[in-house]
Amino acid sequence: MEFDVIFGNAARAGLGPQAAIFALAAIGLNLHFGYAGLLNFGQVGFMMLGAYGTAIMVATWGGSLWLGIPFGLGLCVAFALALGIPTLRLRSDYFAITTIAAAEILRLLIRSSPATDITGGPFGLQAIANSFFDLNFLPDGRFGWGTFSYSSNQLWVMIVAWILVVLCSALVLALIRSPWGRVVRAIREDEDAVLSLGKNTVAYKLQALVIGGVIGGLAGVIDALQQSGVGSENFEPQVTFFAWAALILGGLATTVGPVVGAVLFWFLREGVESFIRELSEQGWLPDILADFLDGAEGAISIALMGVGLVALMALRPQGIFGRRRDLHLGT
Amino acid sequence: MSDTTTMRPELTEAALEAAPPGRLKDDPILITFGMLKTFGGIRAVDIDHLEIERGTITAIIGPNGAGKTTLFNLLTGFDRPDRGSWRLDGRSLGGQPPHRIARLGMVRTFQLTKSLSRLTVLENMAVAAQTQRGERLERALLRWLWQPEEGRVRERAEALLERFGLAHMVDEQAGTLSGGQRKLLEMARALMADPTLVMLDEPTAGVNPALTESLLEHIRELNAEGVTIVFVEHNMDVVMDISDWVVVMAQGRILTEGPPQDVVANEEVIDAYLGRPRDPADGEDAEDA
Ligand SMILES: Nc1ncnc2c1ncn2[C@@H]1O[C@H](COP(=O)(O)OP(=O)(O)OP(=O)(O)O)[C@@H](O)[C@H]1O
Ligand SMILES: [Mg+2]
Repeated sequence: MEFDVIFGNAARAGLGPQAAIFALAAIGLNLHFGYAGLLNFGQVGFMMLGAYGTAIMVATWGGSLWLGIPFGLGLCVAFALALGIPTLRLRSDYFAITTIAAAEILRLLIRSSPATDITGGPFGLQAIANSFFDLNFLPDGRFGWGTFSYSSNQLWVMIVAWILVVLCSALVLALIRSPWGRVVRAIREDEDAVLSLGKNTVAYKLQALVIGGVIGGLAGVIDALQQSGVGSENFEPQVTFFAWAALILGGLATTVGPVVGAVLFWFLREGVESFIRELSEQGWLPDILADFLDGAEGAISIALMGVGLVALMALRPQGIFGRRRDLHLGT
Repeated sequence: MSDTTTMRPELTEAALEAAPPGRLKDDPILITFGMLKTFGGIRAVDIDHLEIERGTITAIIGPNGAGKTTLFNLLTGFDRPDRGSWRLDGRSLGGQPPHRIARLGMVRTFQLTKSLSRLTVLENMAVAAQTQRGERLERALLRWLWQPEEGRVRERAEALLERFGLAHMVDEQAGTLSGGQRKLLEMARALMADPTLVMLDEPTAGVNPALTESLLEHIRELNAEGVTIVFVEHNMDVVMDISDWVVVMAQGRILTEGPPQDVVANEEVIDAYLGRPRDPADGEDAEDA
């Protein structure tokens, strides 16, 4: 059994742009739920708007990428306001339901035939990231060795993505440690108490929603850049739940939790998948099981991750970095 | 108020004469007109007129379900009346959201204590400060704009916590406090918001007798500093001890109001509408369960 291959694949996934993209999405969710107590089940909607806004500006309208990215993030702000203004005054479950529905409706709209002229419909949009790779100052050729061998452009995406992860983590940390963040965390504990102290809680929740949504939008922008294109199949609801899984794995309301959670999520997901594939290839599995698993390694991996997450909730419900005591203090 | 008598014929005319509800005050800080709130068929609050005199301690008493908490919710904007208007210092509050009413100086506490569990005791206090401009998002990252104020906020918070015997808990998470300590913290927090009128919903429920004594002392001190206090209370000893004025509610209405001696002398009122005074310790526990 080639454990080095398995480990190599897993580590590559843990370092890769996907992990950074999910880290960004999870950082946004952490601000939403970990700090502000907002149950956002539509984070993928923000990612999609960031990605599509950027791509539409470049591929459809022939604009500059540097206009496209702010346009995509601007759409995220608009989406946050459209989601939040009608629902944040209501009980929190209304908001949660709205987010998941809105994100999926948005995806269906984007891939619908009337929208094809703008969004590319089911075909998506391509060739959008040239200006981004023009900025790549790394020399041509390959970097690293073995499994960890990257092309210049791949490495460029990863560097930019991880820098953004660090910047966004630092931004959220600074916000949360400010008096603004104190009010936001107080709202998570008891909104009425904070209202009674003269704070406009709806405005704070809306601000937190916008900021976390824009960070999610940034995840979408990176996704569009690294593929140099967008496709609606990349923005199905499970993306949100993977980001949630990463966040819960790492620990809510911590700075490194969402980042480590995302790395670990991709490491495990790819590791388990490789492991199952290795098992079949080595003939260690009975034929009937091997046939059954053939081609389904990805799905099985996800299923096992789900079981693992349940086990984690039983053994360490606060996640890797969370404080256990906090769980007992929750209201 | 004549329909009060028809609704409750056992109330003697003499009793009402002694202390008719809706009495006008010399210098009212809060005036309420025609306040009605119904839940389904229940008239939870139905008050024609109520005035709170500035600078006094007013107790609101009445049996469970009398509408005391609902009245608080209405006055502080946490619930909307079916009809009615009210004014704080001449400013109309109808339709105003609760945070704006709090900023105008009317700050309330809750019958079921609301502590911000995963924030420290100090953070609980700091959230109530009205002077921290770093609470605005656009200044949140400009640390030098709010850092100096943090020091002043901390000083004020510590002084208040000292008064309420919570100084040793400053950096503890509020969720680790006992029920009584949370009650104290909630009151200290309300004061941190610098109110002109404080509305305390059962401040002594669940607080042990020794702490209750010092809590009442704080209420008196506060009042001496010019803060007007309205509080809901089931413990008649407490009511007699510190209130200047007592408002008796039953079934959403104001039955009578007056100085504590007069109201308590009105045995009929007490027996019919207050029942036996409750032990101060059992109220909160029963509701938390
Ligand atoms: N949200 C609500 N929905 C329906 N009915 C309510 C609601 N809030 C209060 N009520 C009803 O209104 C009436 C007044 O309740 P309220 O809580 O104001 O009484 P209270 O005087 O504070 O009583 P207690 O001394 O037990 O705290 C009660 O009959 C109660 O059942
Ligand atoms: Mg009550």
